[in-house]
Amino acid sequence: MSEQTSTSWQPSASDFAPKPKHQTADAITRPAMSYWQDAWRRLKENKRALFSLYLIIGLVTFTLAGPYLWTIDPSAQDLDQIGMAPGADRNVTIAPAYQPWYGPTDDQTYANDNALGLTLVGNATSQAVRLAWRGNDYDQADYGYKIYRTLFPLDAGDAFGLPLMESKNHYFEDRLDLQPTDYYYTVVALDSQGVETDQFATLKLTVKRVITVLEAQQRGLTKNGPVAEGEQIKLALHPFGTDYLGRDMLARLIYGGQVSLFIGIFAPLLYVLLGVIYGSIAGFMGGAVDQLMMRFADFAVALPFLLFMILLKVIFGIGPGESGVLPMLVAMVILLWPAPARLVRGQILQIREEGYVSASQLLGAKTNYLVFRHMIPNTMGVILVTITFQVPSAIFTEAFLSFIGMGVAPPTPSWGSMCNDGIKSMLTRPHELFFPALFISITVLAFNLLGDGLRDALDARMRNRE
Amino acid sequence: MRSKSTSNSNTHSNSLSRQLGLYFVLAIVFVAGLLLALNQLAGLMGTATQEAQAVDFANNSISAVLREEPPQLDSSKATDSTSGLVLGHIMEGLLRMDLQDRLSPAIAERWEVTPTHATFWLRKDAKWSDGKPISAADFIFAWQLALKPETGSEYASLLYPIENAEAINTGKLPASALGVSAPDPHTLVVKLTRPIAFFDKLVVFPTFLPIREDFYNATQGRFGSDAKDLLYSGPYTIKSWVHGASMLLERNPHYWDSNRGKLAQINFAYITSDATATLNFFKDERIALARLQAENLTEALRLKWPIRRFADGTVFYLEFNHREDHLSRNLNFRKAIQHALDMEELVYKVTKLPGYLPGKSLFPEWLIGVEKTLREEYPASTVTVDSAKARAYLALAKEELGLAEFPEITLLTSDNPVSNIQSEWLQEVLKQTLGLTIKIDKQIFKQRLAKMSSGEFGLLLGGWGPDYNDPLTFGDLFASWNLNNRGRYKSEQMDALVATAQNATATPDRMKAFGAIQQQLFDDVVILPMYERGVTYVVHPQLKGVKRRVIGAETDYTYAYIDPDA
Repeated sequence: MSEQTSTSWQPSASDFAPKPKHQTADAITRPAMSYWQDAWRRLKENKRALFSLYLIIGLVTFTLAGPYLWTIDPSAQDLDQIGMAPGADRNVTIAPAYQPWYGPTDDQTYANDNALGLTLVGNATSQAVRLAWRGNDYDQADYGYKIYRTLFPLDAGDAFGLPLMESKNHYFEDRLDLQPTDYYYTVVALDSQGVETDQFATLKLTVKRVITVLEAQQRGLTKNGPVAEGEQIKLALHPFGTDYLGRDMLARLIYGGQVSLFIGIFAPLLYVLLGVIYGSIAGFMGGAVDQLMMRFADFAVALPFLLFMILLKVIFGIGPGESGVLPMLVAMVILLWPAPARLVRGQILQIREEGYVSASQLLGAKTNYLVFRHMIPNTMGVILVTITFQVPSAIFTEAFLSFIGMGVAPPTPSWGSMCNDGIKSMLTRPHELFFPALFISITVLAFNLLGDGLRDALDARMRNRE
Repeated sequence: MRSKSTSNSNTHSNSLSRQLGLYFVLAIVFVAGLLLALNQLAGLMGTATQEAQAVDFANNSISAVLREEPPQLDSSKATDSTSGLVLGHIMEGLLRMDLQDRLSPAIAERWEVTPTHATFWLRKDAKWSDGKPISAADFIFAWQLALKPETGSEYASLLYPIENAEAINTGKLPASALGVSAPDPHTLVVKLTRPIAFFDKLVVFPTFLPIREDFYNATQGRFGSDAKDLLYSGPYTIKSWVHGASMLLERNPHYWDSNRGKLAQINFAYITSDATATLNFFKDERIALARLQAENLTEALRLKWPIRRFADGTVFYLEFNHREDHLSRNLNFRKAIQHALDMEELVYKVTKLPGYLPGKSLFPEWLIGVEKTLREEYPASTVTVDSAKARAYLALAKEELGLAEFPEITLLTSDNPVSNIQSEWLQEVLKQTLGLTIKIDKQIFKQRLAKMSSGEFGLLLGGWGPDYNDPLTFGDLFASWNLNNRGRYKSEQMDALVATAQNATATPDRMKAFGAIQQQLFDDVVILPMYERGVTYVVHPQLKGVKRRVIGAETDYTYAYIDPDA
């Protein structure tokens, strides 16, 4: 203020001193982000893709760490629990060893409340159900009997169920697939022509599941000390049930996942890599080389996959009963590369014409620099997305090949071969098909959703939008 | 800033779950709609399948299913069971099995078998489907045809008991040298090379059916390949044969026996071996008879269908390879496996198919001995399963073979659900009990046959169905000269026993020989009997009189009739 009042301005030395250097303008920037950071940020915002990613990590952990946590042998057969649904009753009573039975003793007493005096001898156990009967009316000659069994209550006039035996004896022992449930046994007297008469008796029984001490030891159920007859113990736990040979479904799913995910992840990695190399060479070289290489790719597309799979099995000397996983991998690699190769070639052709590539060339960039600095980073998104979309298709291919018996050899499971086994008993024991099918579906869905998310996240044109 | 982002993601996930839920409901509605629409569409398109009706009383006809297409119906060449089934309806030979499975007269009114000759007196009213009488010459022609080397009949060896038959079959003599003559058109005299007690049972087999020479020549090599290339002697004729799809049988008006062929038509409306499809046809009342599998038993019980069973006579067994350089040549090795496998467990718990019996012997239970069944007269020896003993035998075998480690063993099996389960069971039991590694080699029938013949197996799931109703059909299987002895088991003692069984005429002597064969098979563990197969099936309640047979037509409708009141 005081200076203004002065009439004249006197320059001083301080006016000629340089301005301090540190003064900066307010910069309007945001933290610098690399391509990958940005992609990751956008992937994280896509809840669906993120969830799929966690799901995939979970599945991989399940199959890799599973064998250490769930140590049951996937090919061990628990014949006491064949085709058990998850959560089925596991109680079992220890019983004496099975002894052959040659009919009732002479002092057997027979029930009087049915036409034939049909009586249960001993206990009805899963070892055997023993029936004896007095026979039909004494004035009639004895021409034999037919024994039936069913699981459903009988009303008058109903068919008696499953015929088990036709016999001239007055006793019968049933050992066929006895489950701990209610059974209705019917014995019908026959006439001289072997035709059923109206003389019959029905008996309702509840079968109790038993095993012998020896069996309990063999099945490893005696860990909590020795067991005695009459004692009740629990059979081995199978959280996901068992299959048609009593094998643990959970263990089979874990081991089956190893095969399925191995093929599902490695095969696409390998053939997409091959495709990328091939496609980028073709695209970069262009001209006649490109023409020639792409016509060869067209030729490879036309080769039938299944035929090659069989040929490779022969070439590899893989005999019957040996695993066909390796030829499957090789067949996939040598036949499925053209699709990613075409994709990458298209991208490269496009990028080659971009202005920044020309500029780079003008500034004297070498081929190597062009490829590694410009071409590959710009096609990376396409490549990654291709891989994630190829994974489900590879898993399906493995499932299909194992389904038709070209894949894994028994007893090695894979999800596909488990489906193949399970489909036969789809109506009676749905869990045998349901679980492997569920795992295939979840894996395929997860990879598809992840691929979807990656496609959005890696799209360079979407970068920095929002 | 922080709170904003959470609320943002909350609304995001809310809308996401709503969106997903909507998609889920839409997907279910769409699939349900698609199913309904496709069902409607199939109903509109499938006019052909509408025609099949399980039981049609008005037209006195029934529909049924054939498991596969017969390759051809030339009786001199037929080998498979489907051909046997159809031939059982359209052809009749000298003798046949009646409803009680007894030998009964057919075209031959009476017959006589002596140690040197068999004589058949033919009935005069037996006619071909074109009305011409059936004569002894038709049989002679058919038998000569089957024996000619150029015919290549696989069952020609069944004719070998006839004089010169073997020489004709091997090309050493002309067909006319066959020791069969016809003194008059209605008498057939057969000269036998050796005494054969059951020659009359043998002539029931399709290879012995008659073929008329002039008709055969008129077909110019197409005999048996189509409906018009066949001449029928049985209760039915083929009205139409749509290859691979269906076959319609119609009553033969020239057939002599009014007790057979009560149904006017038998419509084999479908040719399929798919168990589920067959069951669905039955459920929809398209066919009158369907076989049941273990998987659909509960369903059949729930629907309270009348279920029946019969043993189809086939015995299944584990064969060992007895050739040089095979582990299973070692007796202790075979004994180890014998003591490790519990066939009762296999039948009752693993395959759990009703009607199956645990195998105890090569000779099935139904074979008749002298008076009672063979198995009642000569009970089969059995072992108790004992894993400790099994391991002891295996250790012995290891020592004898001088092996440090047992190599992998290939198990040859056929590719069907039942064999798959069995082979996986076997694989696991042998691994658990004996520590042996088994490789499963699944092959389709023809390929399996080739591998069986060339001996490319360590173990083999084999089976044998009877060709004629005599224990010899099983008894000679493991003679060193029998080509069906796939493991090439060779023992002089066995050969001597089989020779006795073949040549003795007195039934007790023969049965004693069969008893000794059974014992020898057990002692030497030539094979391990696994099970006798049974068949469980459902029949339409109105269809009566269907006969299931062990030998000949597996399902015989020739006595069947419809009872509309049932």
